[in-house]
Amino acid sequence: MPLVIFIDDSETALASTRMVTASMPIEVKQYTEAQVALAEIKAGMTPDLIITDLNMPVMNGFEFLKALRDVPATKRTPTLMLTTEAKAELKQQGKALGLTGWIVKPFNPQQLKQAITRVLRLPA
Amino acid sequence: MIMFDSIEELLTHIQSVQLDVIELSGDSLLKMSAFMEENSLEIDENISTALQYQDIITQQLTATNEAIESMKKSMAVFTHAYKNDEGLAAESMVKLQEKLSDTLAEARDKKSRFSGKNAPEQADEEIEFF
Repeated sequence: MPLVIFIDDSETALASTRMVTASMPIEVKQYTEAQVALAEIKAGMTPDLIITDLNMPVMNGFEFLKALRDVPATKRTPTLMLTTEAKAELKQQGKALGLTGWIVKPFNPQQLKQAITRVLRLPA
Repeated sequence: MIMFDSIEELLTHIQSVQLDVIELSGDSLLKMSAFMEENSLEIDENISTALQYQDIITQQLTATNEAIESMKKSMAVFTHAYKNDEGLAAESMVKLQEKLSDTLAEARDKKSRFSGKNAPEQADEEIEFF
């Protein structure tokens, strides 16, 4: 099964994504700290899709994305930003860093499922 | 500057209450989500939204706590200047007003930024692919 990792410092946001994706044919790993996810990626974890928050303490979503692109195995890993922020300049910044897409919270569960299905090319 | 000491105490109290609210609201929703997961209850849009509101609440209250912290620092700088040289008081008061205005502007910007789809201008926001 494809591996999808969620990174969000909000445990309730992670609970929401966990429940929404429970019925999907994917393996899910969740992290409250981006630097922990990054360490596992550097140690060999190869996610098929990463969905990360933007505003997080220690390492924010953009810092994570930059570091992610420095790891050869995840240079092109599809990555979605899931955040409360919706400013066009932030989206542009994300796009320049190789972001796949942008989702504004609170997300609609069906739309999140459709986005994951689309990016991973799962059977609809 | 006894008045500033009182204001500082009040602000510290507000920060403490806000931190408690963040913790309690998070805890209550985590209990609800744990119950749903243990009983294999399916999540619908309303419950998903409720869980995500907690994240917005946390970010909003954290932003106001940061604004309060900034206010406290500006007040401390003013008090220090005032105590050391009363002649500087008028100038320091102007600087304090400027700092507080900056803090308010930043706090208002964060309120808008951290509202997600609750902000009227973002209500129709769809998932955007690049």
